[in-house]
Amino acid sequence: MPPEPGLRLVPSHESADIDALVGQVARGDSQAFGQLYDEVSASVYGLARRVVRDPARAEDVTQEVFLEVWRKAARFDRALGKGKTWIMTIAHRRAVDAVRRSESQKRQDHHGAPDEVSHDEPADAVIRDEEHGAVRECLETLTDLQLESVRLAYFNGYTYGEVATLLEKPLPTIKTRMRDGLIRLRDCLEGAR
Amino acid sequence: MSTDLHTLSGAYAVDALSPEEAEEFRKHLDGCPACREEVRELREAAARMGASEAVTPPAHLKANIMLAADRLPQLPPKVRHIGTAKPSRWTPRILGAAAAVVLIVAAGIGISQLPQDDDNLRAAPVAQVFDAPDAATVTVQTSNGGELTVATSEERGEMAVDTDELPPLTDDQVYQLWAIAGDDPVSAGVLEDVDKGAAMELPAAGTQVAITIEPAGGSEQPTTEPIIVVDPSAV
Repeated sequence: MPPEPGLRLVPSHESADIDALVGQVARGDSQAFGQLYDEVSASVYGLARRVVRDPARAEDVTQEVFLEVWRKAARFDRALGKGKTWIMTIAHRRAVDAVRRSESQKRQDHHGAPDEVSHDEPADAVIRDEEHGAVRECLETLTDLQLESVRLAYFNGYTYGEVATLLEKPLPTIKTRMRDGLIRLRDCLEGAR
Repeated sequence: MSTDLHTLSGAYAVDALSPEEAEEFRKHLDGCPACREEVRELREAAARMGASEAVTPPAHLKANIMLAADRLPQLPPKVRHIGTAKPSRWTPRILGAAAAVVLIVAAGIGISQLPQDDDNLRAAPVAQVFDAPDAATVTVQTSNGGELTVATSEERGEMAVDTDELPPLTDDQVYQLWAIAGDDPVSAGVLEDVDKGAAMELPAAGTQVAITIEPAGGSEQPTTEPIIVVDPSAV
């Protein structure tokens, strides 16, 4: 990653460090678990905040994620991806599960209502590190429909069927736009390394 | 492989498939290394998008999580086969004296599950068994490709199953637990939520616990071969 010292508010780490920490956690090393928490908790909590919106529920999701990581660390397989990706995949699935559970509870409510505004939004704004800049730049390379499809699915927890309904587009269109958008994001991020 | 299915990789990577579609796609992945690689890459891109939203969590959260992890057993790296018995025959029997005894025993073996939205990994009654000081646990593979972790606590007189590694079922199927003494399975209840697991009274020695896949709502007697049979006294 290119160094941009002025923007670095949190240290960025090589994924190898996180992989190694997960390996130590797998052996029951609670100190390594604490370090792993320090490394990735902001990413996990930030994603949970984006998806479930409510800060208290985001804390619950974050706790679920780290306990799953603790419990399943020995099952983590480096051959299948990076440790950080593994943790963020768990985080996303748990956050989406949480938001879908609460959505099904208030199914009477209409969709499309504006997001709830939380009280402490300005106090804990997104950490503007270099990763944030790289991702934002890469997201700009997506077409509007690709971007919209990816964001509604990833950050709002909608299924691609729901996204198709919301955007009033045919299912196959959304399915392919979602994939094309992610492929474009992947290619751009790989180039930005 | 059908192109149609393959294009679901994007939606799959961001958890945007229904449970049924996700299950179908997972099966597809088993036979498609290129698709697995694509999902891995798209997940990494998605993870970086997620990580770019980093927000420092409240300071108290770390202590809560460290404390909870301290009490939470870890899954072993490799699945071990301990304490599993051969599946029993499912011959229906006329209720005899022995079966009547089983029914009385089984009456105390109702599943306890928390229906409310509990954000713990497991429902509280399940966690209590796993967290018991004398808890013994074992992880076993089920015949339908999942795994089950069983905990028993003599002190509490309870056992619990962690079921979140069981494969998801279709909407018209449920996992049902059975207590078996001899050849007569008695329902211990339907598993409402595989994420939460189930807790029950520790059955008397000689009673085995089995799980079958049944039509929604459960069955009076098992209609399929059990995916797993566990002898709680061997955990």
